[in-house]
Amino acid sequence: MPMKITQEIRDNTVILTLDGELDASSSVILDEELSDPEIMKYTMVLVNCQNLNYISSAGLGVFISHLQRFEDAQIRLIFYNMQDKVRNVFEILGLDLLMTIVSDYEEARSIANE
Amino acid sequence: MLKAGRETSYSAVANQKTDTRFMLYKNNAKTLLATTTVVSWLLLLVYVLLTAESKQAGSNAPGFAYPFISNLLIVIFIVSVFLFQRLHTEMLKGVDFIGYLWNLFSKAGVAAYLSVALYLVYRVYINYIDEQYTLLLHVVYQINFGLLVLFLAKAFYIWRQLLLHHKNKFLQIAWDWFELLLGGILLLTLFNFKYTSYVFLPLLALMGFYILFLCTNLKWVAYLTFSNKSRSLVLLGAILLSCYIFIRFFYNMADNEQLTVDYTDVGFLLLAMLFVGLYTLAAFLVSLFSLPTSSVFEQKSEDLLNFQRLSLSIQQGQSEAQVYDMLVDSTIKASDASAAWFEVIRNSDPQVTHLLNITEAQVKSIRHLLQAYNIHNMDYINNNLGRNPGFRGLGLPWKSMAILPIKSTKHLSGVLYLLKDVEGGFDHETVNVLRTFTSQTTLTIENLRLISESLQNERYKEELKIATQVQESLNPKTFPTDSWFEISTHSVAAKEVGGDFYDFLQLSESRIAIIIGDVSGKGISAAFHMAQMKGIFHGLMQQDMAPSEFMKQANSALSRCLERTSFITSSLYIIDYRMKGFMFARAGHCHTLYYNSMMDDVFYFKTDGLGLGILRDDKAYAGHIREMYYDYNPGDVMVIYTDGIVEARNLQNEEYGEDRLLYMLKQTYHLEADDIKYAIINDVNDFTGPDNVYDDQTLLVIKFRPTQQNI
Repeated sequence: MPMKITQEIRDNTVILTLDGELDASSSVILDEELSDPEIMKYTMVLVNCQNLNYISSAGLGVFISHLQRFEDAQIRLIFYNMQDKVRNVFEILGLDLLMTIVSDYEEARSIANE
Repeated sequence: MLKAGRETSYSAVANQKTDTRFMLYKNNAKTLLATTTVVSWLLLLVYVLLTAESKQAGSNAPGFAYPFISNLLIVIFIVSVFLFQRLHTEMLKGVDFIGYLWNLFSKAGVAAYLSVALYLVYRVYINYIDEQYTLLLHVVYQINFGLLVLFLAKAFYIWRQLLLHHKNKFLQIAWDWFELLLGGILLLTLFNFKYTSYVFLPLLALMGFYILFLCTNLKWVAYLTFSNKSRSLVLLGAILLSCYIFIRFFYNMADNEQLTVDYTDVGFLLLAMLFVGLYTLAAFLVSLFSLPTSSVFEQKSEDLLNFQRLSLSIQQGQSEAQVYDMLVDSTIKASDASAAWFEVIRNSDPQVTHLLNITEAQVKSIRHLLQAYNIHNMDYINNNLGRNPGFRGLGLPWKSMAILPIKSTKHLSGVLYLLKDVEGGFDHETVNVLRTFTSQTTLTIENLRLISESLQNERYKEELKIATQVQESLNPKTFPTDSWFEISTHSVAAKEVGGDFYDFLQLSESRIAIIIGDVSGKGISAAFHMAQMKGIFHGLMQQDMAPSEFMKQANSALSRCLERTSFITSSLYIIDYRMKGFMFARAGHCHTLYYNSMMDDVFYFKTDGLGLGILRDDKAYAGHIREMYYDYNPGDVMVIYTDGIVEARNLQNEEYGEDRLLYMLKQTYHLEADDIKYAIINDVNDFTGPDNVYDDQTLLVIKFRPTQQNI
């Protein structure tokens, strides 16, 4: 099943919705999406993981590689609606302590507004 | 086997024998026929001279006139000459039609000129001595008769050879009947029938039609090239002239009162001459009228030949450049183009490799124009360039142009440009032929590329095989066997090389360090990082440090050499058998599964720990790594693995999962380490189905033994 990524802009926020499996091939598309210089104009990147069924190490690598860059530019990267098994992968790797993973969109927004 | 071999060799010998016997028979027959020919002709001459002598002596002494004898001798002579030629021409083979014609002319056609020369000499001589010399006339007449029969026989059988070229069964039968009928007519002569009598006239007429039918079989003419046709016209004309000379000579002589024999009475000769003459005439006319079209056929057959050369070029191992040479050559010939150039496209940059009657500057100006119209590198035919103002502006002499790209579905390898100085130069027919050439070239080029690619792939495969072997040798095959613990390992890579690894290092007599890890990604890049990590493990652990300290230093080292998107997960265990405990740190690696025999419980050590190479700041990373110490009991089992095990999927896309792994250990902890490992691996394979490994899988099972054995 190929990955589908949709981008939505709300105010100062970019919302990426991931649909499908984030494996070695689809992570290239994600990398392109996150490397877009346009994204640096916003203060928030929210990632909707509701339909993200699987994430491979290559997919994690893409987020990790952009993590530092976003932090330096003071852009907040927030994941929400994450499925348990995907969250487990983040947790095992220890990424849950580095990245912000919240339960839903409202929570993500409230964090953003802090 | 041996027997069969011997049998075939016997039959081969037998064949050879019959062959030589046949050859011998043929040679004997030819000698016999030649002798018969000479003897019968001499006898005929003697007979004729005797008859003439007796006629001269006085008409009242007709004692020496036996027409039967002369007819018999004539028939014998004719039959032996024809049979001789029949045997002789059978040896001629092949499709060298000009050779046949030359053979016919040089060996038989000249006979007519000889005969005419002979007769002229006779006439001059007669005039000179000014006296009738009948006997000499007889001799000349007889010699000419011999030459005529020779000519007819030779021509008859050479025409047979050509007439039956590409024969079918019907034609062969028709010919055989023709020969039989002619033979029958020869018999009429024997019995001195007058063929001109009314009874035989219809038969003769029928034979005439039969001959006309046979004369329509001229397939061989089509195979002559233009120059061959012109040469054959000369030869055929000369042969026709021979026929004419003979006919004239014998019809003139027929009225000569002095002669005793009139060969125009021999119906066979008439028919044979009719056949030879008509067939020669037909061949002459057909050659003459097909002369203007022969260049078309030549072109077609050359196209065909070039086409064949193009398709054969792969087998002959030719290079792309040679194929393009052939293409340019063939298409210029096929279209009769007055100018042409060919560009090879390398990295979407055209390079002109072939130029014909056009300069680089002209090519450049035309290409600029085409680019302006956006029709470069496209299949494009323009038969009226003069109507285009842009092209007219260039002031070039050409009036039609064809652009033919060498293009497969995804790759443009070259473009061919053909120019002609006439309008409408590239008609439908020509363009079709040109397209056939270009599509064949495309196919050939594509195939050449595929072949070289497959060779390259073969080399890569060999390299990968070596990489697989190297990597396999990196994983330790044997752990130190000791009485206090047993260990069993399993490791498979999803591809030729993988990113999973495990290793150990004996730190001291009672302490051993065991590491397991997984590099993000798969394949070659993962394999490189895995080897790097092993180097870091051996380098750092020489200094004997705590697991958490190792992880910090490893993270620092990897941060400097790992690309941003890569990371490594790892767990390091230092087992101290004297203290009966182990220390470990987890850097983002899968949780360790553990069976505690004292509590009879199976659980995961759920500790925190960040993967290596994610946080590249040493101080920041230090806060993300935990160390844990655990006392083990004899009978405890530790299961260490990579995510390839728990994330193994079945056909329904479900993951194997930590719970099922935990359940497996619950069922098997009482077994030996090896058996626990096999049980888990079998269960994973049952779950995924056969040959369904998508990620590298590594599994280590460590079982602690009761210590009393050691004491």
